[in-house]
Amino acid sequence: MPARTRPVEKIAKASAQCSAEVAAYGKCVVTDYNSVHKDMCAKEFMRLKNCYLAASKKG
Amino acid sequence: MLEVFNRKTKHLQKDRAARNVEESRKVDYLKDEVAMRLCERLLDIKRNFPHVLDLGANSCNIAKALTTPNLDITTPEGTVSPPLADKISKLTCVETSRALLHRDEDLPFNKEIEIQRDIIPDLETLPYEPNSFDAVLSSLSIHWINDLPALLEQVNTILKPDAPFIAAMFGGDTLYELRGSLQLADMERRGGVSPHVSPLADVKDVGSLLNRAGFKMLTVDVEDIVVEFPDTFALMQDLQAMGESNAIMNRDSAPLSRDVLLANEAIYRSLHKEDDAPGIPATFRLIYMIGWKEGKNQAQPLQRGSGDVNLKDILGGGEFDRP
Repeated sequence: MPARTRPVEKIAKASAQCSAEVAAYGKCVVTDYNSVHKDMCAKEFMRLKNCYLAASKKG
Repeated sequence: MLEVFNRKTKHLQKDRAARNVEESRKVDYLKDEVAMRLCERLLDIKRNFPHVLDLGANSCNIAKALTTPNLDITTPEGTVSPPLADKISKLTCVETSRALLHRDEDLPFNKEIEIQRDIIPDLETLPYEPNSFDAVLSSLSIHWINDLPALLEQVNTILKPDAPFIAAMFGGDTLYELRGSLQLADMERRGGVSPHVSPLADVKDVGSLLNRAGFKMLTVDVEDIVVEFPDTFALMQDLQAMGESNAIMNRDSAPLSRDVLLANEAIYRSLHKEDDAPGIPATFRLIYMIGWKEGKNQAQPLQRGSGDVNLKDILGGGEFDRP
């Protein structure tokens, strides 16, 4: 059977190339984790997602 | 009866997972390890067991553990004791998923112990006669049972008098890291939470559950196994391949969104990754329990206060003031 890359493996691979953005978003949420609310770290998440999308395009 | 877990979902998860034989065997590390630790407890019982039931056998991991030479104890004289499988004449393995139960039937360990494989539609209703088994073992299965009190009562019934029930299950704080970080990711991305990790029994409930089912001479203990994973995606993939993903009723039928997965990875790393560790830790909390069916001439705990030796004299230690 040919090796099939599962969607989650793709996400793992792409997100591994964004460690700075991953750390920044994680830090933002965790700093105030008792009062997390929607879009509290929207800016950090957008940076993470942009990096992720660019990385996943590169394959 | 309140249904917490969707039995059909759980059955499908186990079945699908086991059909990918290679992947399913690769993630057996936890089930094999716990089966070994569970079977070690049999060494403390100086008895042979003609007929034993493995309740929720997965892929007969207990049978594999019983026949594994590593489990032998080597005496100081250097002689090796016989494998635990020698204490058991026949092992009946019962499971709901055919693919899972029969996955390893061609492996060599099957020749070293007599195994009967029974497939039943539902682990919550056992088809066995009262007083049939000399012991019931169960490893990493009964945490998916909706009505645990009723199951334990059935186990007590099918045991012969003075026979033990020895089980290991995932408990309360299992995967607390994942539970917490998914909750935060859900809050921050979607503004609300939904249950992505199934609830588990707490260790402090297990004693009273066994008691209510009629078991005597209870022993309950807890052990954490921490496994390191490269990232949260690998952790979740392994859980899925084990057939251990969430099976709660009314769970979101859609898989976790990519956004929540990404957010979860970041939050989990921030909260739990040690600076010098290459991966992230995931905690599995195992609850081990032993209960004996009531029997004639069974050893009984003595009355409180009837001891005539002061433990202090044996163990030593300082004065202890009564309040």
